[in-house]
Amino acid sequence: MTYIVRTKQLTRAYRGKEVVSNVNMNISQGEIYGMLGPNGAGKTTVMKMITNLVKPTAGEIEIFGETLTDKSYRLLGRMGTIIENPIFYDKLTARENLELHCEYMGYHNKKSIDEALELVNLKGIDKKAVKEFSLGMKQRLGIARAITTKPELLILDEPINGLDPLGIKELRDLFKMLCKQYGITILISSHILGEIELIADTIAVMNDGKLLQEVSMDYIAKETAEYIEITTNESSKAAFVLENHLHISNVRVIDEGQIRIYDCRIPQSELMKALVLHDVAIEAVHKKKGTLEDYFLSILNGGGVVA
Amino acid sequence: MLKLMKLEMRKFRIGSYIRAAIIANVLILALICLIGLNEEVTDGTMPFTSYDMAFSVIDTLVRGTYIVFASVLISRIVIDEFRNKSITVLFMYPINRKKLIVAKLLVVVLFTLVADIAANLFVGVGFGILNLFESVVTEPFTWSIAVKSLLSVVMGALATSFMSLIPLYFGMRKHSGAATIVSSLIVVAIVCQNNDGFSLYDIIAIPIGLTLLGAAVAYMSIRNIEHVDVLK
Repeated sequence: MTYIVRTKQLTRAYRGKEVVSNVNMNISQGEIYGMLGPNGAGKTTVMKMITNLVKPTAGEIEIFGETLTDKSYRLLGRMGTIIENPIFYDKLTARENLELHCEYMGYHNKKSIDEALELVNLKGIDKKAVKEFSLGMKQRLGIARAITTKPELLILDEPINGLDPLGIKELRDLFKMLCKQYGITILISSHILGEIELIADTIAVMNDGKLLQEVSMDYIAKETAEYIEITTNESSKAAFVLENHLHISNVRVIDEGQIRIYDCRIPQSELMKALVLHDVAIEAVHKKKGTLEDYFLSILNGGGVVA
Repeated sequence: MLKLMKLEMRKFRIGSYIRAAIIANVLILALICLIGLNEEVTDGTMPFTSYDMAFSVIDTLVRGTYIVFASVLISRIVIDEFRNKSITVLFMYPINRKKLIVAKLLVVVLFTLVADIAANLFVGVGFGILNLFESVVTEPFTWSIAVKSLLSVVMGALATSFMSLIPLYFGMRKHSGAATIVSSLIVVAIVCQNNDGFSLYDIIAIPIGLTLLGAAVAYMSIRNIEHVDVLK
């Protein structure tokens, strides 16, 4: 497998306090790599280090097989980025901003600007000055700027901030399309679980500057097993019945009204029958699959953080 | 490098600054005309007794104007990029950071150089025309005066364009446009005052020292730029 980005023991400290510590990331070619973590976990700092804006205190970064140094300017030409809020020259129009971008990147395909604007649905307002844009529009323009030059690696820091639900879906499809059709590797960060879950092939969970886990979505799908959730008023009684009469050990009482059974070998009908026979009032029974949220929280908790 | 400079000028719409410079020149000329026509200054002496003196006053006014003008340019082209964080965009391009900053500073230096010389010529010629009608200065205008003045204008403009970089140091400390412009006013106060015919600028060490200081500020601003974080 070819790695596009690898970091080895990447560390960054500000005034003695490590905001990123010993991060080892491996981003393979052609995948969407999602960085997940609460605010202040160090996601943006990692991205800034990859784009050379912030220099690591220790460790190294390898991009496209080359070690990143202060003078690795050539590598930057193969990336497209949005880091933090997209920043533009406000007084210039959207098109002028993109034209400048292409000039600086040394990319001279004029059609690509139109294509990019079309992809993010900003066609028709490209003659407007950027200072009149809303946050969502700037975000779209930022994405347009990142993709005009058809980079090999796209680095997107919280790209869906400020977008409406429809816009989020459009962009999600766009990212998937870019990844599939153009083979662009995407590094995307977010603190919104559901978003990352829908898009990423590999997920890195970060907290407190540490990379807690780097797993593929396929693995998570296997890990987050199915379970049956029963809604009832008498959860402790229900749990007692399940444990003592049906001999299910894998029962978790979530709260007063809910219990989860992680042992799915016993059919639902049998469960219901046993509960009804023992006079437990059942309001609802659902068969559910563990979500990324559960998994994420369990990792965070494992890392010693109260979620 | 030329391309980078062109891009900078496109980005900051240099045209509007050229227009502003032209307006400034017209104002300086108007001021000079007013001084020249005000024949009797309080004690009855003529305002300009020689071309030398007239050109030196013009040069001082122009220098003061363009040092401040350059600081406005610095604040727009350099400081604002840092303040608006657009420098992060710029530094993610596959272009040497040193070159990017040098391009910006060269735009400022060359603009100041050209504008300073052009303004001196414009106001000088304007004053010459005024003199044809009003004969403010009575001595004849000779080639030797012209060549001497021109030479001093060019040398002065060179010094001015580097001196105008001094405010960069103060502006970059906190990325403040106001600090840039205020410090330029201090530079102006040092080099453009004139106390009964005596000016600090006449002590040759001062303009040379300030010119070198300007060059040093420019060098310091690019020396380490590759190895530091862009905005912490």
